[in-house]
Amino acid sequence: MKLQVEKVLRQFDGPLTQDLVLEPGKFGLGHIPAKCQPDSTTTTTCGFCSTGCGLTVHLKNGEAINLTPSSHYPVNLGMACPKGWEALTPLAGPDRATTPLWKDIEGVRHSLTWEAAMKTFTSKFKGIQAKYGPESVAFLSTGQIVTEEMAFLGALTKFGMGLIHGDGNTRQCMATAATAYKESFGYDAPPFTYQDFEESDVLVFIGANPCIAHPIMWQRVSRNPHCPEIVVIDPRKTETAMAATQHYAIRPKSDLVLLYGLANRLIENQWIDRGYIAGHTRGYEGFVDHVSSFDSARIVAECDISADDLERLARTIHEGRRVSFWWTMGVNQSHEGTRVAQAIINLALMTGNMGRPGTGANSITGQCNAMGSRLFSNTTNLFGGRDFRNPEHRQVVAHRLGIGVERVPDRNSSAYDQIIEGIDQGKIKGLWIIATNTAHSWIDQNRLNRILDKLEFLVVQDMYHSTETASRADLILPAAGWGEKEGTFINSERRIGLTKKIARAPGQALSDFSIFKLVAEYWGVGCMFREWDSPEAVFQIIKRLSIGQPCDLSGIANYQMLDDCGGVQWPFPSGSQTLATHRRLFEDGRYYHADGRARFVYEQPRSSGEMVCSEYPFLLLTGRGSSAQWHTESRTGKSDILNKLCPTQLWIEINPADAIRLGIQSGQRVRVRSRRGELLGVAHITPTIAAGQVFIPMHYVMTNRLTYAEVDPYSRQPSYKNGAVRVEKAED
Amino acid sequence: METLDSARFSKAEQVPLRTLIDELLQEQQSLSAVERFSQRHAGDIIPAQQKYYRDLIPLSTPGPGEQYAFQVNLDICTGCKACVSGCHSLNGLDEGESWRQVGLLVGSEESEPYQQTVTAACHHCVEPACMHGCPVAAYDKDFSTGIVRHLDDQCIGCQYCVLKCPYDVPKYHAKKGIVRKCDMCQSRLKVGEAPACVQACPTQAIQITIVKSDEIRLASRPAQQMIAGAFDSSYTQPTTRYHSRKSVPGKIRPADAYQLRLEPAHYPLVFMLVLTQLSVGLFAVQIVNSFCSLSGNGAGMTLLALAAALLGVISSTLHLGRPLGAWRAFLGLRRSWLSREILIFGAYVPAAIFYTALQCLPEFIMPMRSSVTWVLIVSLLVFGFSGVFSSVMIYADTQREFWRLSTTTWKFFGTTLILGAAAAALFSPSLLWVGVVIVLLPIKLTLECDIFRHLQDEGTTSLSHTARILQGTLGRLVMLRFGLAALGLGSLGMEMFSGDSLILRGFAFICLLCGEWLERVYFFRAVKAPRMPGMAGN
Repeated sequence: MKLQVEKVLRQFDGPLTQDLVLEPGKFGLGHIPAKCQPDSTTTTTCGFCSTGCGLTVHLKNGEAINLTPSSHYPVNLGMACPKGWEALTPLAGPDRATTPLWKDIEGVRHSLTWEAAMKTFTSKFKGIQAKYGPESVAFLSTGQIVTEEMAFLGALTKFGMGLIHGDGNTRQCMATAATAYKESFGYDAPPFTYQDFEESDVLVFIGANPCIAHPIMWQRVSRNPHCPEIVVIDPRKTETAMAATQHYAIRPKSDLVLLYGLANRLIENQWIDRGYIAGHTRGYEGFVDHVSSFDSARIVAECDISADDLERLARTIHEGRRVSFWWTMGVNQSHEGTRVAQAIINLALMTGNMGRPGTGANSITGQCNAMGSRLFSNTTNLFGGRDFRNPEHRQVVAHRLGIGVERVPDRNSSAYDQIIEGIDQGKIKGLWIIATNTAHSWIDQNRLNRILDKLEFLVVQDMYHSTETASRADLILPAAGWGEKEGTFINSERRIGLTKKIARAPGQALSDFSIFKLVAEYWGVGCMFREWDSPEAVFQIIKRLSIGQPCDLSGIANYQMLDDCGGVQWPFPSGSQTLATHRRLFEDGRYYHADGRARFVYEQPRSSGEMVCSEYPFLLLTGRGSSAQWHTESRTGKSDILNKLCPTQLWIEINPADAIRLGIQSGQRVRVRSRRGELLGVAHITPTIAAGQVFIPMHYVMTNRLTYAEVDPYSRQPSYKNGAVRVEKAED
Repeated sequence: METLDSARFSKAEQVPLRTLIDELLQEQQSLSAVERFSQRHAGDIIPAQQKYYRDLIPLSTPGPGEQYAFQVNLDICTGCKACVSGCHSLNGLDEGESWRQVGLLVGSEESEPYQQTVTAACHHCVEPACMHGCPVAAYDKDFSTGIVRHLDDQCIGCQYCVLKCPYDVPKYHAKKGIVRKCDMCQSRLKVGEAPACVQACPTQAIQITIVKSDEIRLASRPAQQMIAGAFDSSYTQPTTRYHSRKSVPGKIRPADAYQLRLEPAHYPLVFMLVLTQLSVGLFAVQIVNSFCSLSGNGAGMTLLALAAALLGVISSTLHLGRPLGAWRAFLGLRRSWLSREILIFGAYVPAAIFYTALQCLPEFIMPMRSSVTWVLIVSLLVFGFSGVFSSVMIYADTQREFWRLSTTTWKFFGTTLILGAAAAALFSPSLLWVGVVIVLLPIKLTLECDIFRHLQDEGTTSLSHTARILQGTLGRLVMLRFGLAALGLGSLGMEMFSGDSLILRGFAFICLLCGEWLERVYFFRAVKAPRMPGMAGN
């Protein structure tokens, strides 16, 4: 009776309760919501960052309804960062481009049929080429599309359409590491495997904040059973610096001096591996000479680090049996980044920390397919890491593709910044931008936008019609996004992972692959690309192109094999017997230079182009704001959950001492001005940023109004972390 | 609309290409991942994630005097926030909904550089304020696990638990008209699976442990808090434990400590509070008026007072997400002031109706009319004033400083007397009620101004937070409130000299009524709601 009354009075169940009921899932998923139980699952590779996590997609009638991180994938071991968890959400964005869009003279957009769009595309670009020469049309691509699409774009533009200049947004993240590796190792070859995070006893992170930028790599660090020393060299007390056992908050841009000084300390203390240096390197004597002037006194004076700390750091590296060095954008995005990266490589070489578990000079990549772009985009280097200027290389590529060698340009493409300059100088009149948001992400944005206005024809191919770049386009080509197409990504540890089509693209959006196919047909070069029929067919072409190169992946049979193995790391030449899940390079100490030896590469440090002064007394640092934000947020901004996990307002980190001096309190509006532009944001006062510096996340469109346009002369990667700015309280 | 003329292109050229476009569009819509790639783990019943979380949940279930609790290792939580996404996805929550939230603690001026991410879900308190406040018993603290579960189908969407919880845990789902919250994934725990957040944490920073309720009680002495920035633990005795071996600088604060956050206005409640208080005040004045045999239209007064009561009650139901379940409001009587308020006003309204009927129908003959009238008078006064008192307690019981007992008492009873007298002045030529308003209103306004004293507070107290909102964002509203009060006061002042002008009295009444409404709007909007540390710039 009492129970009966209780039942009437209190409803423990009902439709609202049922809405959230969990039921045992099959497929090893454990309990999952009853309302979205899948009828099958499949694994795919995440399309945000270069970690390359495996995601188990929950499918109903072949279509994705949810996803969870793959428990079995060797990269992420059942985990994902918030972006991975939310990977499906951006596909449903209300601003997806669903038809080609044409902007008329009044700036009004009209939708077009694909046919009309393709006719416009070809007639406009061909017209420009006829008038100004073939070089007057260029393209800017991305590290966000699959390798097969990159290869198709590179072949189509350079061999089919006669373009010379095309670069990718990987210039903004990986060019420095690629250049540094190429010079030091003889090939762009990050040597590590993620297992190394777990096997080091000393990990040195330089200009890297993996806790936020690569949380799943940090997961691997947290699994390290050796109680490792974790050293962080970063001007800011980042999340990673908080988690480290040693943090050196050096003066920004003093990293090269510090690293040379550190090499000097190691040499003077005889803390070097003479056998390794003698057996596997060249140029050591010159290097010793070079670093001799970087004595402790100089380091103390230039880097804001004490002599004791310098000694402690050197000793830590010396005492570690397996020391690994890791860097990201703090190094890559610098006016002398290539030399800084090489200074890190030099440390690894001279201490013999190469080729063994838990060692290496390791560049953590940015985008999901930065590595694919470096090897197979056919932009600034020829397919497979070859050289356009090398006749033999041109011959090999032409032969393997079955095209005339005269179709292969004999010079390398201009880099991103040179293409922009080309537009400014009137040499480039037509631009095709694919899956990148230049008008948001490029340095010195106000100037960039003035330059883009000089174009006669701008085509933007993107998932969204609303990006800052798409809104400037004359023609928008609607692209299918990650999850709506298939292909492969190559992650930071050289793992080729498969990404699958598990969602339908909206409206008439087409995969970038199909768009390239259409362009080939309408341009009149369709017959050149008969073999390029499907992504998997192109994968076979890529295999062929890789043969004989260090990145040889011809041993991978097909997509099914990638799916079965949880991705495969290159190199994997045909006939490879072992298929170990984790493989690192240079275990035999042989590098890719002809003599098999790695090089010590070094140079005198230079000061950056813009220094702080009385008018602009603060140094502007930019970087990732939170783990929930991806680059220009064209995708992550579509997820309510991700938006909850990051500040809604542009926030500016200011040191308390500076804030007191300027009379600024947390939460107040602040104006930041550089010689190039200004922005308004909200002050976040925190001692994690040093006095005299401010930090602004890169995800807000205004940030690049301030940045100073300077590139590393070797990698041509922009230096996003060296603008001089003024900070003042904004009037309400 | 096409600007390009496709007819320009010859037919012969179009046909094969059109076919290609159609083919590609068709291919784009076909999904073949399932057919093309082998299916794995199809029959797996054992969760594949189990190997990662096995050690993060207890082997046994809680014994007597024990319960489950979250435990967070701050030293390995590095701010990736996957727990929030994991909770959202694995629990099938609506867009933007998650039972976990993440905030940040930062060091202050004098401290070493310091930052710490703080992840928080429901703390499954030993003394859950949400549960104690719920008028319809839509919360259930599980006897054996200690999990504080929300019964979604029982909820009427009054959102009082949202006001009661000092950690901002229950979240109102406007579309469904109910509150929802974390249940520690109890159905997962029951079968040995880890809650979603525990499963999703890449560094294994979140764990489920078994805690002794007595130990939690002991650890929840006044002025203790779970972590910097969290509310005083003695209020609800939260069970989550935050561990760190690192030295923490003495002065740390939530990154959002300076954020001036406006809370919802709850307009139906604004109207309900002011109208019920007007009603109680006016009935009281009418009773005094007739008791002292002062002149005036007693029936008019009662009619207006009744109308206010009815409108107030109707307005309050508009606040509910699912008003049809409100009949269960008696279930919370033992602990919930909201339950008490609902029942008391529920009794007040019929008393008001009968009393008004008797006042309006003096000729109506009935037995024992005078004793019935006496009973009704006593009931009206008792229910009326205890109703206003329970309104006071509803807010005082949330432990929010701007709503503390003393302040809310004089505010609500001040409104009761001032509006009662001002309304009575419409029906009675006597200057007594005008005089009462002229005396009381300045006192109430002075007390209201007291909050601005806190602009001088050291640091960021919750009252200085309120004061800054009232001075800044809501400055105009406050000016309007005081302007209207001054206008009403001025009109009544003129009335003291000019005599019996219904227009002046009516104008004054409307000014005062609107003024009180505005005061009640910022009573809700400017209060500082305690919550776990949040992020900067949000």
